[in-house]
Amino acid sequence: MSATWLLARRNLLRSRARLTVSIGGVALALTLVLALDAIFEGVSRQLTAYIDRSGADVWVAQSGVRNLHMVASWLPATTTDAVADLEGVALAEPILYTTDSMSAGDERGWAYVIGLTPDATMGGPWDVVEGAGQAGSGEAVIDRRFAQRAGVGIGDRVTLLGREFRIAGLTDGTASLVNSVAFVSFDDFAARRGGEPAVSFVLVRAADGVSPDTLAQVIGSNVDGVTAQSRVAFGLAERKLALDMSGDVISIMNVIGFVVGLAVVALTVYIATLALRREYGSLKAVGASGGYLYRVVLAQAGLSVAAGFLAAVAITAALSLIVPRTGANLELAIAGASLTKVGIVAAVIAALAALLPIRQIANLDPALVAREGV
Amino acid sequence: MSALTLDVQHVTKRYGDGDTAVTAVRDVSLAVQPGEVVLIMGPSGSGKTTLLSMMGALLRPTSGAIHLDGSALSELSEGRLPAIRLHQFGFIFQDFNLLSALTIRENVALVAELAGSKRKAAREKATEILTDLGLGARLDFLPEKLSGGEKQRVAIARALINDPALILADEPTANLDSKIGHEIMRLLRSIAKEQGRSVVIVSHDQRIRDIADRVLWLEDGEFKDVVRMATDPVCGMTVERDDAVSVERDGETYSFCSKGCRAEFLGGAKSDGLTHGRAIVRRARSVLAQLASGTDDRQSSG
Repeated sequence: MSATWLLARRNLLRSRARLTVSIGGVALALTLVLALDAIFEGVSRQLTAYIDRSGADVWVAQSGVRNLHMVASWLPATTTDAVADLEGVALAEPILYTTDSMSAGDERGWAYVIGLTPDATMGGPWDVVEGAGQAGSGEAVIDRRFAQRAGVGIGDRVTLLGREFRIAGLTDGTASLVNSVAFVSFDDFAARRGGEPAVSFVLVRAADGVSPDTLAQVIGSNVDGVTAQSRVAFGLAERKLALDMSGDVISIMNVIGFVVGLAVVALTVYIATLALRREYGSLKAVGASGGYLYRVVLAQAGLSVAAGFLAAVAITAALSLIVPRTGANLELAIAGASLTKVGIVAAVIAALAALLPIRQIANLDPALVAREGV
Repeated sequence: MSALTLDVQHVTKRYGDGDTAVTAVRDVSLAVQPGEVVLIMGPSGSGKTTLLSMMGALLRPTSGAIHLDGSALSELSEGRLPAIRLHQFGFIFQDFNLLSALTIRENVALVAELAGSKRKAAREKATEILTDLGLGARLDFLPEKLSGGEKQRVAIARALINDPALILADEPTANLDSKIGHEIMRLLRSIAKEQGRSVVIVSHDQRIRDIADRVLWLEDGEFKDVVRMATDPVCGMTVERDDAVSVERDGETYSFCSKGCRAEFLGGAKSDGLTHGRAIVRRARSVLAQLASGTDDRQSSG
């Protein structure tokens, strides 16, 4: 350990109360940023879970429709066969989709309602925890957490699409902060929509060796009135929509976290430097260069912020374990990009927080140590 | 360590400008030889610390020159001064000014590291010097756990670690009791004599005069001829022989700050018919009487 780090570390540890306040303040400020990012990431994953787990390589939608949330997509029923006939398509299956309210007992929530054909191999539930995974006539497969909150189970009734369905199965991983996914039979869904020969999306599985992006282009070029995207692109569009909706809130909270963290570190490092002004003065007097003293202050700020950053990561990781166990439809996922962003924010905080104390030291006259003891 | 001589030539230090300018040091010259212990004394505000700060490259003179082994310190750029202070001078401050967060060994080793020593070598050298100064059992103590004398010995070790030619000490005994203060001064003298380092001490402590090779008296920013200065044997005050109340006894001239001290020294001899103690009592009574008279006047006028 260099003389710089030694003095910086010892100065920090000298006043444990000040260190605790400094690290705690930074940790809370960075947790604000990190947890919000983790919530956004978790919610985004939940929002795209259905797309990600659909099993389709390509999503074919009504022309101009590029995501699932808050959209309506209607295609002629013949689109499925038109897509299936194209080269490179291994399988094409239709689904019906809408966003609707779902209620059972006193519980009410929004649901992506999916209508599935009896022999569907794509777009169905991927984690059935109880009962059947395929809804028969008059049946629905719903999210387990919704059922728990509503106090209903297999054989009980749930209202969807303006009518009651018998609960045939319960699924996991199909709930998000804002909605869940419910599955009914294609015919029941179509009947509630007046029996029109239409589908919402066509889910496509690519033949071996065919790239989803290439296949999407082929479909888009050969089938009129559709927008075809690979599953990955479709999921990204869904994420972008979520980001567009919450981006301002996240930005504001990031700025608040940054300012709070900066204020806490700047204040504690400044106070620590002020308290040690006499010692810095004597070091200057005996011949320590300004550069050395600046590095000590910067290292102090850096150590505080690094410790605060690690504490923030630990707190957020703990929250990501605890929150889902509280029964809330909330998932916190710490993404690498978020860690990088918060790490950079922390480094900027450390650098800015050290500026004022460095200025203070720069103006310190070593002769004052001799003349006045500073 | 090389044998250096500090040469101060016609140095003046003035603070402020115009009517508010204060001259702290006025046209002072002084040369310090290797191995010499120079004690600069003087009353508070006489410019001692300002002079020491200029000698240690902590402060630039307004005019005049300070040479260290022939090179002019006062002409060096600001950026070069820290390295000069680090390598050529050892500073000892009145309040020790040790780093509270570091152990005493780290306090000393840090200054060696700043001068470019490797950590291991710096620690070994710090250990050696501190052990030589009798602090071998306290190497890993924080300064707050040490007595004043021990702290000053750490400060001396810190001053010695980079093998400086000159040690500059500002009131090194001010926060120490008489016995410890004398020990510290003897230590500084032995360092000067055994290691050939020059030691310049600034102090108003009369008790340390005997350890110096040369005593200089600074008053109002100027050196006064120390031969012309004398110490009142009664109250201990330093007085100028020419202006002092004097008396000759057994062929020796004694100088006093006042007739009272002279009377007390003479032990029963009369001064205006009263001893010094009686004179004080009489003056006190006189003041009280005047006060009482003033009060009466006010009462009568009211």
